[in-house]
Amino acid sequence: MSITEKILCSKSHEFLLDNGDNTFTIGLTDYAVEQLGDIVFLELPETGAEFKKGETFATVESVKAASEIYMPVSGKILEINEEAVNSPEILNEDSYEKGWLVKIEATGDAAAEQSDLLEYEDYKEELE
Amino acid sequence: MTKETFLHEKHVNLGAKMVDFAGWHMPVQYTSIIEEHKTVREKVGLFDVSHMGEVFVSGKDALEFLNKIVPQNISKLNYEKAVYCQLPNKKGGLIDDLIIYKLGILEYLVICNASRIDEDLNWMVRNSKGFDVKIDNRSHEFSLLAVQGPLADALMRKMGLTTIQESFTIKPAKIAGVKVLASRTGYTGEDGYEILVENRNSEYLWDKILEDGQEFGIKPIGLGARDTLRLEAALHLYGNDLDENTTPIEAGLSWSVPKDKEDDYNGKDVITEQIKNGTKKKLVGLKMLDKAIARHEYEVYKDGEKIGIITSGGPSPMLGANIALAYVKNDKEICTGSIVQVMIREKLHDAEIVKRPFIEKRNKIKL
Repeated sequence: MSITEKILCSKSHEFLLDNGDNTFTIGLTDYAVEQLGDIVFLELPETGAEFKKGETFATVESVKAASEIYMPVSGKILEINEEAVNSPEILNEDSYEKGWLVKIEATGDAAAEQSDLLEYEDYKEELE
Repeated sequence: MTKETFLHEKHVNLGAKMVDFAGWHMPVQYTSIIEEHKTVREKVGLFDVSHMGEVFVSGKDALEFLNKIVPQNISKLNYEKAVYCQLPNKKGGLIDDLIIYKLGILEYLVICNASRIDEDLNWMVRNSKGFDVKIDNRSHEFSLLAVQGPLADALMRKMGLTTIQESFTIKPAKIAGVKVLASRTGYTGEDGYEILVENRNSEYLWDKILEDGQEFGIKPIGLGARDTLRLEAALHLYGNDLDENTTPIEAGLSWSVPKDKEDDYNGKDVITEQIKNGTKKKLVGLKMLDKAIARHEYEVYKDGEKIGIITSGGPSPMLGANIALAYVKNDKEICTGSIVQVMIREKLHDAEIVKRPFIEKRNKIKL
């Protein structure tokens, strides 16, 4: 099963991957990084920080501009991808397996909060 | 409605990411801004800058008229030479920045920013009262191709360019059999040419330059890299680093304002006074000391006090650091080597004031 079959995507181009035990991986979709172009800077939160669904938790900068990244579901940061902070260009290579951003533990009703997220195929269709 | 250059279809077919810029649908990047940037620094790149304005100024009073609207002394501009100028309002603030070329005894070409052409024309016409001068906007007749980089001259030679030109000269020429005006100017800090070509020949010339340029490693370059290239070279961008409330003296452009020009020109009293007594603000270059990126309109602080504002900022692919241009309080204590702070997402990040340009420019070609 490829990664895109397992993720859900937000309209603001974050992906959410369910790792079980109420934990998730969050990152940017391939469409998002393609639109951003060369990614040169990434600012991620501290582990332990808590954010509500829809809140800005990180910032990604391309050569041209800074963009905010929003929480697709409410959660507490368990782990951040240090490699992506040190080499943000890996997001351009692969934003899912190498260039994921944070791992979280859901703090809200994750199932209900996922209701406005789309399966990858539907997300792609929405873009067209 | 968004305008398209004659090369629009070329950009789309090359897979460019297109954006709206100053009312034009233009390529921002073809592959990667950083890759395109390095191509221009190391080899040669081709830009479509046909959105820029071409205004021909001619007539018995053309020289007197131009001397009235720019601080530069156009009387000293020789045939087939070019000069970088600004178009000040009566308060010395800048309506635009321009390059003026002398094409003939009574004929000049003014190249202006796409975003400012309406304001420029309006200002020129208003100021032409009493002058026997013809102001002819022929922007819609020409495409402008920029060939920039250390291999630009070699490529142009290969394509049949025979003119011998130093920097800031313009000559009628033939490239690949096409009649053009070849100007040895650019907006990258590299050597190169800006080629004015009639629209009907622009697609042919674009394709031919990319084809003949292959052995030189040529790539088409979008506006994204155009911006990072000009920033490294610390060349001003109108709308970011220049505006109607900023004078050429404040903008660090005193080198382009002669002190001995006798003719009166718009804003001369303010500009002269600033040359004599100094300005309240000044333009400086900043190099970020961490990985954070300063952007347009971010605030600059020193010792907790707000001292200025970023006007352009971004990564420098050649330095591997983030750089910016900022207007800061004109204070002796705020100078090259000073450490200041930039407010980025509510946190202060250290930056050092450094000399401009950020890289060594290689565009001064003397014969």
